Amino acid sequence: MKKKNKFLPWGYSFSSILLIGLIVVFPIIYTIYISFTNMNLYHWTDYEFIAFSNYRRALTKLDSGFMSALFTTIIWTVLNMVIQIFVAYLVALGLNVKGLKLARLYKTLLMFPWAMPAYVSILLWRVGMYNPQYGLLNKILSALGFSKVDFLSENIPAFLSCMVLNLWMALPFLIMMMDGAFQSVDNSYYESAKLDGAGWWAQNLYITIPSIKPILAPSIIMTTFTTFKQFDIIYLLTMQKGSLTGATLQTVITYAHQNAFVSNNYGLSSAVSIVIFGFIILFSLFINRGIREEKA
Amino acid sequence: MKKKAAKRVAGLSILNLFFILMCFITLIPILYAFLLSISNESSAFGSGFLLPRNPTLKNYEAILLEEPFLVWLKNSVVLSLGTMILAMGTSVTASYAFSRFRFRGRNEMLKLLLILNAFPQILSMFAIFRLFKNMNLLNNYIGLILIYAGSMCIFSIWNMKGYFDTIPIEIEEAARIDGGSPGQIIWKIILPLARPSIIVTAVMVLIFVWNEYLFATTFLMREENYTLAGGLYQLQANDYSRSWSLFSAAAILVSIPILLVFFSIQKYMISGLTAGGVKG
Repeated sequence: MKKKNKFLPWGYSFSSILLIGLIVVFPIIYTIYISFTNMNLYHWTDYEFIAFSNYRRALTKLDSGFMSALFTTIIWTVLNMVIQIFVAYLVALGLNVKGLKLARLYKTLLMFPWAMPAYVSILLWRVGMYNPQYGLLNKILSALGFSKVDFLSENIPAFLSCMVLNLWMALPFLIMMMDGAFQSVDNSYYESAKLDGAGWWAQNLYITIPSIKPILAPSIIMTTFTTFKQFDIIYLLTMQKGSLTGATLQTVITYAHQNAFVSNNYGLSSAVSIVIFGFIILFSLFINRGIREEKA
Repeated sequence: MKKKAAKRVAGLSILNLFFILMCFITLIPILYAFLLSISNESSAFGSGFLLPRNPTLKNYEAILLEEPFLVWLKNSVVLSLGTMILAMGTSVTASYAFSRFRFRGRNEMLKLLLILNAFPQILSMFAIFRLFKNMNLLNNYIGLILIYAGSMCIFSIWNMKGYFDTIPIEIEEAARIDGGSPGQIIWKIILPLARPSIIVTAVMVLIFVWNEYLFATTFLMREENYTLAGGLYQLQANDYSRSWSLFSAAAILVSIPILLVFFSIQKYMISGLTAGGVKG
């Protein structure tokens, strides 16, 4: 029996609702407000309302750069997720092979990139790996007799470099989740499948994947969200203040940040932010429905 | 039969080899930073990338004594603890209420919190910046603690509500029959039972603040206010041919406490993440 009471629960949650309301909800409302104005560096206090102009500029004018940023973000998310799921599946499969005595040790070692503070990892990669003069990758290249490569100076190499780093940082989480999911699959399924003569492919396709799917859905959805809103990697690798590397890679999030804090187009940036938030809400509603249908 | 066993052993050795190689490649960036942090500055950018010839702790000494590392550390600790106290202080009772009571607006509230949790706070950063500028909360710990606590409060409510749900309500009913007041029941019975979840959530809040750099570098602009994130950012933004070994020493120092904490609560973290995660 659950308790029913009209006022007590609100009393218990009053302080957190107040905090969330002031710090999270109110700035979102204020962002909506700014998105309808022409606020920028020259109109800091004497801004005017311009209705939907910012939205029109972001969504219909190609030279605003938003549409290409959106395109990059979609490719970024899809590529990262496909590779992550595929690689994590294979690695977790390997970790669960019977007789692999050192599996625990491997798991601990593979978890390090997840445990490291993200900005520390990114800065370490920026200077330690990708740097044209001192980076390890270029040292290896020149030791092998190749010429040095400036990984972050052009868009496609920079995109791939960011992706490699993202995979390095994000794979451990998914590997551990897959590993946990594998261990929950009942072993007797495999035994009877073997008796029926099912091979490796059949076992994976008809036993492993269907049984881990519901367990993994939350973590995969969560990873998709974090990949979609990934900001730190692209920002810290290629567009730090005062040390741009030459690549002009933009995702929607870096685009919104760039317009707010570099080119000072506050109105446009806010409009873009609201559009992105709209996408996120739509996406979560869509996913929620999917999960509910699967349960039913 | 013997042939089969031999094939198995061969397969396992290949698999072991694969994993050793994979672990090594995964750890290279961290190992490389570690090696640089104990190498002499002069040899840091030499041709070789093998073990440094004469390892030294000079860089650690320099980062601790010559750079304001301890000030950054103090600032990070103040922010982390402040955020933890504010976020936990507000969210424990709220998550209890959302778990135990059925009241009008409960489901809508939980859904709203879920959507707000998906909102990347960076998108409203400018709005917060402008508001704080007008309220003189820039370059101020209280401002930053409020920002962190606001977003962490949502996370904590969901994370702990999942755990409260698993504590049987019969325990509370028994306590009420024995004459316990609501306050007594929460303090003496529910909180001790929920302690594992409260501790893990609190530690995750600490890790979040410790690892956050964007708001820390945007809202704290004065040098004496820098957190570890701001300080490290500054170190690598300088001419790094000189400070790169210093930077790696600092990076190792910042990561060690987090690595220790992470590996000690890692087991609980996974279950907490999936339990509180995305369930609607």
